[in-house]
Amino acid sequence: MKRWQRDYGLATRMFLTMFLLFAVYIAFIAVLSYLRIPLGMIVIFAGVMLFLQYYYSDKMVLYSTGARIVTESEEPGLHEIVSRLCIEADLPKPRVAVVDSSIPNAFATGRSPKKAVVAVTTALMQRLDRNEISAVLAHELTHVKNRDVMVLTIASFFSTIAFFLVRYLILFGGGRREGGQIMLAWIASIAVWIISYILIRALSRYREFAADRGAAIITGHPSHLVSALMKISGSMDRVPTEDLRKAEGMNAFYIIPAISKSSIMALFSTHPPLEKRVAALEKISREMELA
Amino acid sequence: MKLFDTLLGRTKLKKPKIEALFALSTAYISLEALGFKPSGVSGICFKPVESSRFSELESYLRELLRLSASETGTMCQFQTDEYNYNWVILNDEDFEDLVTTTHLISETIIEHDFEERLLCSIFAFGDVYLIYNYKEGTFYPFAPLADRKRDSNLEFRLRSAMEGELPIEKEVEKWHPFWGIPF
Repeated sequence: MKRWQRDYGLATRMFLTMFLLFAVYIAFIAVLSYLRIPLGMIVIFAGVMLFLQYYYSDKMVLYSTGARIVTESEEPGLHEIVSRLCIEADLPKPRVAVVDSSIPNAFATGRSPKKAVVAVTTALMQRLDRNEISAVLAHELTHVKNRDVMVLTIASFFSTIAFFLVRYLILFGGGRREGGQIMLAWIASIAVWIISYILIRALSRYREFAADRGAAIITGHPSHLVSALMKISGSMDRVPTEDLRKAEGMNAFYIIPAISKSSIMALFSTHPPLEKRVAALEKISREMELA
Repeated sequence: MKLFDTLLGRTKLKKPKIEALFALSTAYISLEALGFKPSGVSGICFKPVESSRFSELESYLRELLRLSASETGTMCQFQTDEYNYNWVILNDEDFEDLVTTTHLISETIIEHDFEERLLCSIFAFGDVYLIYNYKEGTFYPFAPLADRKRDSNLEFRLRSAMEGELPIEKEVEKWHPFWGIPF
């Protein structure tokens, strides 16, 4: 592997985030079992729910975004780009979908590379040139290669349980002696939920950086992704807010989330700010030149 | 450490394998016997990189091809397609020379440290193409028809002709099509 293809900093931060998340979860389980909170039902329920969400991620996302699978004769250019990127990245070819939308964006989903779907919006195809579309698709294919749907689903398992406990633990309330324990468990759940939420968001942002890197490595052209990101974010700001609100649901999987910038704090954002992404890509570009 | 790479989101591109290309210089005889006559054309497809060293490679390749052309009589041509991939297209009636030159160019690209940019090389056999995937080190057939359809019948016939002669791509999902091959 060449020097420009490595980023120990990013790998370390990602590892640290996952480690912290794991530690928080272990502590959470320890506290709950110490307090003798009956968890069986909730764990099964959350497990089944997350598994279904993971297993049917492609169908659910396609349905909720209104994406339409396109055949090779409908969108020959798009298929050709995906095909070549797949050879480069050593992936089976995913299904290709198009979303009828005036917001230029793209996403990838699916439980495994074989079940993956990559989608682009009609606006993306209109406003970006071939190189930029190819860079965006390489970013999405890196999400597929890194199995981000699975990683984020597993990462949010106990967070989901904490969330359920926060909402329903009050219903457990029984005798007076148990009251205190339930209160403690409730406080622990809230703490775990908040901490894990922030950690999962951080993890999600690191996965975005990793996907940007992957796109640079697969295409060999970091600058194509930079110009694509610039174009996408530039036109994001001009889009009317009604459309944006409608598009908010699938943020975690989009290349640039459809939320107006000021509306959300950086800590809670699923995507890193544009300037940081561009800076990271420019660094790769410099390293490539020096390699 | 594939699990670790996935977990930490590291992208590694597979190193190309070029040795299997040589298998073609003997396998073509049995392919020809089964009715797949080589057309004497091949193409090497690779993606340019954003780096000044890449243009050095290009001029080096041109020089190399000029030299080998005077030796083997292989004609060559550079082309960039609509997806910005580079092609070196070779013409030689002698199929063994064609394979050797294709191998030589692949090797040169690898030596110049652009090994990950090699996408595939393609050999024409009349209406059907044989595509060599460098990352897998395997061959697969591709028979394009009008309107982006594939003649799978012909493809599977070529595949069975290749059986035992060439390393065949086993996963059919990886039989990626190449529309508009520039030769």
